Order: sequence, then structure tokens, then C-alpha cells
Amino acid sequence: MDAIKVSGLTKQYGDIQALQGVDLTVPKDAVYGLLGPNGAGKSTLIKALVGSLCPSGGDVSVLGLNPLRQRAALRERIGYMPQGLALYQDLSARENVQFFGAAHSVPDLAGRVEEALEFTDLRARADDPVRTFSGGMQRRVSLACAIVHQPDVLFLDEPTAAVDPGLRARFWSTFRRLAQKGTTLFVSTHLMDEALLCDEVAVLRQGQVITADAPARILERGQTHLLVRQDGRIEERVVGGHPEDLADALHVYGLSREIGAVEVRGDTLETVILGLIEEAKR
Amino acid sequence: MRRTLIIARRVVRQLLREHRLLGLSVIAPLAIVYLLKLFFDTMPATFSTARYAVPVAAFLVHFLSFLLCAIVLVQERTAGTLERMFINGFRRAEIIGGYLLGYLGLATLQAAVALTEVVLLFGLDYGVGTLAVLFVVVWLLAVASVMLGIFISTFARSEGQVFPFIPLVTVPSVFLSGLLLDTALLPTWADWLGRLLPLRYANTVIQEIIRPGGTIGEVWPNLAVLLGYIAVLWALASRTLSEVE
Repeated sequence: MDAIKVSGLTKQYGDIQALQGVDLTVPKDAVYGLLGPNGAGKSTLIKALVGSLCPSGGDVSVLGLNPLRQRAALRERIGYMPQGLALYQDLSARENVQFFGAAHSVPDLAGRVEEALEFTDLRARADDPVRTFSGGMQRRVSLACAIVHQPDVLFLDEPTAAVDPGLRARFWSTFRRLAQKGTTLFVSTHLMDEALLCDEVAVLRQGQVITADAPARILERGQTHLLVRQDGRIEERVVGGHPEDLADALHVYGLSREIGAVEVRGDTLETVILGLIEEAKR
Repeated sequence: MRRTLIIARRVVRQLLREHRLLGLSVIAPLAIVYLLKLFFDTMPATFSTARYAVPVAAFLVHFLSFLLCAIVLVQERTAGTLERMFINGFRRAEIIGGYLLGYLGLATLQAAVALTEVVLLFGLDYGVGTLAVLFVVVWLLAVASVMLGIFISTFARSEGQVFPFIPLVTVPSVFLSGLLLDTALLPTWADWLGRLLPLRYANTVIQEIIRPGGTIGEVWPNLAVLLGYIAVLWALASRTLSEVE
């Protein structure tokens, strides 16, 4: 069974169509990325998946449960890290994690709180008030609150926005460890290069999924720029993103002595995704 | 119930760390009651201060309890912690109940401080029984005001949207609850409007109990109304607190 299944999901706010018939399937135990520029509808989609938003139309199922009609059963099994911090600033990290963990009927809550603090590397300052923490540390507290009850599916809404590159890398290695432990992660981001860190991604633009695939397959839709220096001049050829395309292109030249240098520049995943978004605009 | 207590414990923990808010909650009624004393001292000797002293203290407790609580749930909403509470499985009635329980301590403190000061400052010579009833009624009023604040806050999406409600609730209380004038003199519609305000019931009990020869026997149903008021608002707020966008 898939962890998440969405079909024909729409959400209308007055005249604004925030989601326009979204279809998605997220396999279990995957790290699934939801990519898109600001305002694409990423948070709206996540809110519909966690049951804090009533869709205008379509079907949503998370772990086989409807997020609105079966919300009590579902909420025991999902974790949610919102885009904002959503923490009690005057409480300590441990008190925040304890409070949100206590909402669930989990055995050995105290042990799980310590585990979540350890996992997010917060033990050293667990008893300090959250307001004394840096932005990055507060994000780690927010993550600890979302994983304390060891959910089956974890929704992370732009967890790495406004986070420095070092912490971003740590966050992603944490996500990967969670996936290895059997958690399905649904991560939204507007940072296109993070797509490579996911098993599968969906690209959202103006409330519509413009593509959903494995990052490597999306990368194949890009182009390879072949720059060949021959007789003192540089010739550029654009070939497809597939490895065979490059081999075909090189056949033309053979390996004659006239060729001074060959440079191959492939599109990055970010360029390909931005290209797809631009294409969708047209 | 377990989750209601978890929320109440968290609210109390936060309140105890809000030294400024706690200090203001105690000092503000003290300062206002003292100003009231200065004002009453300017009145002619025939003026009955007792008729107004305790009811005005009750109004202050009502106003402050309402004000402090009117923005609490809105703050939770704007901070995103309300949404997080829901997604973690807390339910609406549990959240409302947790806040009510959490603020009971503050309401008790305010009722005790305001009543003690007004009795000492105005030299009111009430017996222990009367004082006990006065405390119960002011305390019940404080709890009802906390609940009214929470109920009102369920209609607002931001702190700014709460402010118009504050005069809308507290100013009619001054005129329609019998604090300044006899409610029998009001037009029928205004009299009925006054019955929607908790201060009306508290004031009726206070006026009777401080009247020479007055007893609780005549007016105890007003205390029951206050209790019912709290229960009804809890039920209503549990419906009006929106969980889903």
C-alpha cells in the first residue's frame, strides 16, 4: 500500500485556486520531495494531507485514512513540522517536546523525549528556554517535536528554509536516517538542488503538479552541452541528457589529433526543474 | 481529561514564567481600587460607598480576567502552536478546558487580592460568612470572564481582531448589569441584553449579600446561572474554535 495517495485535489480561496487538481502517489519508506517556487501551493497541499485544511474537491488518503474523517486515528501515526517554528518560546526544548509528545498515547514518553532530543542533537541545551536558541536550533526543536512519537509518515514543510548550508546537510542526513528506520518523509522545499536528496519528487507550480518522478529521470530531461575545440575554434553542440546521447554526439568527431579539448557540461537538476517550470508557464 | 490536564499544566508553567503579566494582574486592580477610593472620598457624606466598592472590584476582576484571556488562543493561532496541537491529536474541548483550568489560579489570585484590598481600604465591616460568599461570587465571575475571553478569542484570526470585542463586552457590563443603576429602570430589550453578561448575576448576588439583613437564600440561583454560563461557553467555544481552514 502507498503511504500517500492524492487524486484530483483542489482548494479554492475566494477567486484564488490554490490547488488545481493535484495527483500524487508516495510509496512507503520513501523520502518524497515536493518542489516548487514560493506560492506554488506546497503548504496548502501539506495542510490538506495532515487534515488541517478542508479541500474544495478531490480525494486524499494517508496510510489508507482520510485526513478529515479519520483524523483521530491518523494523527497518532503522522508527524508534522510546520513552516513556522510553532514552539512555546518561554518553555525549554525538553518541555516543548514533552508537551507535544504527551498528546499521543505512547508508552515510555520520557524515554522517547530523550531519544528525540538525542536524535536532533539537543541534549546539551535541552533545559534552556527555546527563545535563547538560534534559528537553526529552534528548527531542530521543531523537528524533535514532530518525531517524538515515532510517526509512520512525517510531513516537513520547508524544513531547511533560511538554514545555513552546514545545518541543511545535517538535516538531510537526519531525514535519511529516519527513512532508514522506516519513516516515510514528505518534504517540501523551494530549493531545487534538494531534489537530488529525495527518492522521488513532484514539482508543483501554481497548484498543479507539472512533473513527478525520480530525480535521476528528471535529470535525463535536461541537455548536455558539448564544447569541442578544433583548429583553434570552439564548437558547441547541445545534446540530450541521456548518457547515450553524449556517446552519439562524440562519434561525429572521432578522436582525431585536430581536437584540442572536449568539455561536457550537463544541466544541473536545478536548471532542468526551472526549465520545466518555465515551460509550464508557456 | 488526561490531555486537558497536560494543557493546563503547560499553561500554568508558562504563566509562572510570565512575571510581568503576573505582576500586572495583581498590581493593576490594586492601583485602580486605590484610585477609586480617592474618587469616593470626594463624594458627599451621604454617598454610599459600600453600594459600589465590592461591585466595582468585581468589575475590575471581570475586565482583567476577560482581557488577559481574550488574546491567548489567538496568540496560539498566530504562533502556529494551535495548529500543531490539533495535528498532534489534542481536541477542541480539551484545549478550551486546559486553558480554563490553567487560568483558574490567576482568576483566584485576582479575586482574592481585589476583594481583600477593597474590604481593607474602604473599612467594610462584613462578617466571615458574607466575605466567603463575596469571594465565591467574585471567583465565579472571574472564571466566567476567563471563559468569555476564550470564547471571544475563537472568533479572531489575529490579536488585532480581538480588540473591538473588548469594549463591546466590558462597556455594556458597566451600564446593563446593575453596577451603576437599577436594572428595573432599563427598557426591556436592554434588560435582556444585560442578562447575557456575567457581571449582571454577580452584581445581583453582591448587592443582596451586602444589604443589611440580606441573605444568599434569595439570590443563590444567580450563582447557578454563573456556573451554567461557564459550562455553556465551554461547549460553545469548543464548537467555534476552528480546527480546519
